[in-house]
Amino acid sequence: MATNLKPVDVVVVGLGAAAGVAVLPLTRAGIKVTALEAGSWMQPSDFKADEIHNNVRRRVTTGTKVWDEIPTFRTSPDQRARQGAAPTMMNAVGGTSIHYYANSWRFHPWDFKVRSETVRRYGASAIPEGSTVEDWPLTYDDLEPFYDTIEYEIGVSGKAGNIKGWIDPKGNVFEGPRRREYPMPPLRDTDFTNMMQAAAHKAGFNPHRSPAAINSQPRNGRSACAYHGYCDTGGCHVQAKNSTAVTTIPAAQKTGNLTIVERAHVTRILTDDNGKTTGALYVRDGQEFFQPAKVVLLASYTYENVRMMLLSKSKAFPNGLANNHGQVGKHYIGHWANREVTGLFPVDLNIWYGANAQGVVVNNWAEDNFDHSGLGFIGGASLTVNHEVHPIAASAMPTFGRAPQWGSKWKKFVSQNAGRWLGAYAQCNSLPYENTWLDLDPEVKDKLGDPVCRITSGPKVNEPRASAHAAKKAEEWFRAAGAIEVITVPNTEGPNLSTHATGGTRMGLKAESSVVDPYGFAHESPNLGILGGSTLVTHGARNPTLTIQALAWRSAEHLVKNWKSIAG
Amino acid sequence: MKDTSITRRTVLAGATLVPLAAIRRAEAQSPAPAPAPAPSMNTDQRKILDAFIDRLIPKDELGPGAVECGVGDYIDRCLADYLAAEKPLFLDGLANLDVFALRTQGVAFASLTADKQDAVLTAIDNNQAPNLRGFFNRVRRLTLEGMFGDPVYGGNKNFAGWDLIRYPGAKLAVGPEDQSMKTPPKPFRKELFGAGGIMADGHMGENHGH
Repeated sequence: MATNLKPVDVVVVGLGAAAGVAVLPLTRAGIKVTALEAGSWMQPSDFKADEIHNNVRRRVTTGTKVWDEIPTFRTSPDQRARQGAAPTMMNAVGGTSIHYYANSWRFHPWDFKVRSETVRRYGASAIPEGSTVEDWPLTYDDLEPFYDTIEYEIGVSGKAGNIKGWIDPKGNVFEGPRRREYPMPPLRDTDFTNMMQAAAHKAGFNPHRSPAAINSQPRNGRSACAYHGYCDTGGCHVQAKNSTAVTTIPAAQKTGNLTIVERAHVTRILTDDNGKTTGALYVRDGQEFFQPAKVVLLASYTYENVRMMLLSKSKAFPNGLANNHGQVGKHYIGHWANREVTGLFPVDLNIWYGANAQGVVVNNWAEDNFDHSGLGFIGGASLTVNHEVHPIAASAMPTFGRAPQWGSKWKKFVSQNAGRWLGAYAQCNSLPYENTWLDLDPEVKDKLGDPVCRITSGPKVNEPRASAHAAKKAEEWFRAAGAIEVITVPNTEGPNLSTHATGGTRMGLKAESSVVDPYGFAHESPNLGILGGSTLVTHGARNPTLTIQALAWRSAEHLVKNWKSIAG
Repeated sequence: MKDTSITRRTVLAGATLVPLAAIRRAEAQSPAPAPAPAPSMNTDQRKILDAFIDRLIPKDELGPGAVECGVGDYIDRCLADYLAAEKPLFLDGLANLDVFALRTQGVAFASLTADKQDAVLTAIDNNQAPNLRGFFNRVRRLTLEGMFGDPVYGGNKNFAGWDLIRYPGAKLAVGPEDQSMKTPPKPFRKELFGAGGIMADGHMGENHGH
């Protein structure tokens, strides 16, 4: 039998990138929040400059929960799904914001209106076949104040390209208008970033530096980036990466209104007969507890948000929490993002050190920034090149037909070229489709005996076309930068498990086609808020975390303003 | 102590925006190096593996190869703990390699000349032994890990792997001069995590003055 705990105002499930920011406005408003986190706190000394630890073994996590619930994957409903080899997330206070790249983008205004803008410019037939895409129930302008809040609360380095319509060619000239400059300048310019910016200009593109939730200068008592080159899938040893564990969570703790329960493995969200959520059931160190609350905020990773809802069946919700319209798990998007284009250069690039977010980006071929008439696809891809190459990954390089893959000739080739190649990271605007969804795996279970999440992801046409189009542009960019070899290996299958997994509990105006309302609260269970990538309607051509955080803050403010109607 | 202070200077060179205190926090609890587990292969199995990885990255005029760099130790340790679940499959792969060598060359793999070993591996690489294709790729991947990973895991002895590809080395703070394309970064060859590594030295004095 579960031990019943004292009721609180809000119980949060998962204290990561999303709830990690949401707890700040809540606790500042005097709301008592208990956060149930499957992992524990991590310290600077837990983080290592070690490719095997971080990238090969993926050891930057606490506990083993994340390894026990790796989703399964299949490409059609007649297949048996196979479990992935490694998790796409981690467990700790601060969640994946601890070991992410920290590329901190705003989505483009077009991303919020893909359907209506496409129909307006190219006609209804331009909507990709089988796509369930809708406009978001909010616009870029609605979210802009919250983007701004997050950029300043956690600290983002970057260069604005559009301040209230005033365009600065040093920044992203394609971005939606912002109210002010970033709180910090971009991460360090290097010979490499200068070279790639110059080459992009030569190719006729509009390059700019990556926006990063990493301190480019000391801020709020924490260090600037040490550029040591172990940021990707590693935590920051000098606390310069602005994970929620070093920014908004400690700020929320200072209010005295935040209780964090570490090592809390939430198993179910409970509801009463009227469909109101009553709290969360969890296991901690082998004991079961029930934490009652007036409001539940489900804020884990996309796969876990969906799984938790499908597992939480009740009298009011026999098919899973807030799923009487069968929308939970639908409209899932695995972000189409690849390094298809690889270039070999005649000089040492010296990109070993630095951060992944110390990059150069070209946005000319993303969103609707170019005329798509006759191209056969909508959207596109952003193209990024970046610092931070690790030695094992570097040595696993393609040999461009110039050497075999092993033996003395290979050894000579890598000795010359391991530091002379790079790939262009192409992130596509990605849409939801009827043939792509999440549900529970019928066979594979976690250690508690609960089924893991299953991904079904059918074939797509639009995204590979958009990616191929962008790949041609990446080739031009690399040639302009002096590459002596450029190869493109198309990925026509897209992601299986994704670190950019979105949708599955998407937001919308109607319960018939979405799970949550424009503020992230469930249509069918109004005191259940959902934070995280699962509420996204489309996926922009860029990393999703800042958008997830802006939405989470907006949900929290909405809850504060409407406390009585939601919690009452 | 003298050596330590040189190390500190190297670590902090140019990192003007990273306070010493931040580095100190990172060093606060250096992880104890894990003791080497008991070997997961017998002598014969290890002989096949060593012969294999010696052909993947041979010792030559460019420097030591996979065997000299301890890649065999790296793989052996992986199979003993981190990859324990994979061990039976891996040992089958070694046995199958020997069977294939006997069938095609008439001699066990480790006893073949280097040229004949290359012929066997080339045949596998060209998919003439489909049951060994996955194993070949796995050994190649683990060889890269052992050759170019941190030496604390048993491979990359004396940083020879990093010297080979001119990876400048893992350190805690990197200044602008080390991100330049005009002058190559100075190699930093100090273990961060092993016994005696800078994370373990505990010699953080107060008077660094950088």
